[in-house]
Amino acid sequence: MQLTSYLALSAILFSIGLYGVLTKRNAVIVLFCIELMLNAANLNFVAFSKFGLFPGLTGQVFTLFTITIAAAEAAVGIAILIALYRNVQSAEADRYDSMKG
Amino acid sequence: MEHTLLDFNLRVMAPELIIVSAAALLVILELLLKESTSRNWIGWLGLLAVIAAGVSVGMEFGHPPYQILNDSYRVDSFSLAFKALLLGGGGLTILFSLAGGKNEQPKPKGEYYILLLAALLGGMMMVSSADLLALYVGLELLSLSSYILVGINKRDRHSNEAAWKYVVLGGVSSAFLLYGMSFLYGLTGATNLFAIQGKMVEMVATQDQAYIYVSLFLMMVGFGFKIATAPFHTWTPDVYQGSPTPVTIFLAVVSKAAAFALVARVLLIAYLPLVSTGAWNEIVSWLLMILAACSMIIGNTAALRQTNAKRLLAYSSIAQAGYVLVPLSTLGFVGFDLFPSLFYYLCAYLFMTAGAFAVADCIAKSCKNDQISAFAGLSRRSPWLAGVMTIFLISLAGFPVTAGFFGKFYLLTSAVGSNQAWLAAAMILTTIVSYYYYFEFIRQMYFRAPDLAAPRVSVSWAAWAVLAIGVTGTLALGLFPDLLLHELGKIDWHSAFAQAQNAIRQ
Repeated sequence: MQLTSYLALSAILFSIGLYGVLTKRNAVIVLFCIELMLNAANLNFVAFSKFGLFPGLTGQVFTLFTITIAAAEAAVGIAILIALYRNVQSAEADRYDSMKG
Repeated sequence: MEHTLLDFNLRVMAPELIIVSAAALLVILELLLKESTSRNWIGWLGLLAVIAAGVSVGMEFGHPPYQILNDSYRVDSFSLAFKALLLGGGGLTILFSLAGGKNEQPKPKGEYYILLLAALLGGMMMVSSADLLALYVGLELLSLSSYILVGINKRDRHSNEAAWKYVVLGGVSSAFLLYGMSFLYGLTGATNLFAIQGKMVEMVATQDQAYIYVSLFLMMVGFGFKIATAPFHTWTPDVYQGSPTPVTIFLAVVSKAAAFALVARVLLIAYLPLVSTGAWNEIVSWLLMILAACSMIIGNTAALRQTNAKRLLAYSSIAQAGYVLVPLSTLGFVGFDLFPSLFYYLCAYLFMTAGAFAVADCIAKSCKNDQISAFAGLSRRSPWLAGVMTIFLISLAGFPVTAGFFGKFYLLTSAVGSNQAWLAAAMILTTIVSYYYYFEFIRQMYFRAPDLAAPRVSVSWAAWAVLAIGVTGTLALGLFPDLLLHELGKIDWHSAFAQAQNAIRQ
């Protein structure tokens, strides 16, 4: 029962994140939403490692790795966004449309 | 008995150790250099490291499979073959980056080569691990480095925009992959693929299988993105068009090949028990076949209305990814013998794609025009370049005496051999469609009058070297396909999907 509620929470977080990435216009919010999706997966790992069919520490160790990687990804994302902002003078994601076809 | 890292023979990691130490060393050397000094020799040292790693990969062939730390790192014929391919692609990328040298603005900086080496290292980890955690870390090392590489021209709007699209969609895809992995872990309590396989055998016999498919479908979204198959291909044209051409070559060749190895490894170890229940042929195969068919159809038809040369080649590479998925998707019907044809096609793809992008880049740089119309009358302006491009194009289109023909021929036989006639038909029909846009280049080069104002196409010697390697590879694989196929036939592909000897002994 406990596991199901954690899984449900992470599924909701994942869906909110995906919805945000697809619809939000502000580029920073888009990056936040990606973090939300990654953290939903982390929550799953921890829930499975505590209440899952085969409890163990592996899931929590996995989470430590993914938190680090997500931090690196956010850093890279923000850096790219700043470089882009200097060229386009806008943080609206739908202004980034110079390439089409 | 517990094993620590030092109990293992670390010599098998030589290729990775060479690349990582070269990257670390070059970071420090770059710091000590004066601002005004040319950074080209950092590229040369990087190329040297890639060649040294390639030699050490070559020396490891023929040894029995070996694993380190519970399959976190494993070396077997499968990983060695893919590593050789990745290092070849990485070497070509660095060589072509050196071509930009003199007149290109902005010049490639030291960190560019260091990031390329880091990305290459990530790719090498992806092909030589059987543990979800190590695979994920390798994948992210490759992805994060390539996000920066795509945006390396920070004053160029296209380059920045491509990097932004890549980082957003790449982040989403890795979240999907991770979410799928979390279900796989929850089902089995393990991250080691062989342990997962063991649990999966019990699982397919007894329980409700819904979560197996949840994990599979979520991971397929991530995989589909990384190998750029439709319907997860939307980032590809923008990113390939916007990034500097050497990086495009790297993404098209190295990143894609590494992702293919990852998909093969995860599906064929963790989900292999599904074969025994018949669910593989009913679900997994169909999933891959639909991805393959979608990529061929969407890639080839969307390419028809492109006018930008690099964008057109990007759509063509989506279609090629669909072709390469064919042997993997028919694997459940035919068996493991399809790896030679898959690998053969990837080799052919390496040479022809790298070559075609390199020519497109030389033309775009010289004419300051990245449209296909810049190719007009190339046969009179620069006949050698036109000839070379023609070879790459007929290989991409799949005409005889080139590598592309035999590659496609073997893929087609695998589709026919599995009795999936519709897939073979889709392959043939979309190939015929592709003739139209490949011949658009040839039409421009040979049957259009050159623009009198067009400047001479200047090709640096390093670009010629890349083109020479591409042409040699394309023609050699086309004229003597048996040479490579014979070697590939001797490789023990099964070893990649079985426990290593030193793992069983513990």
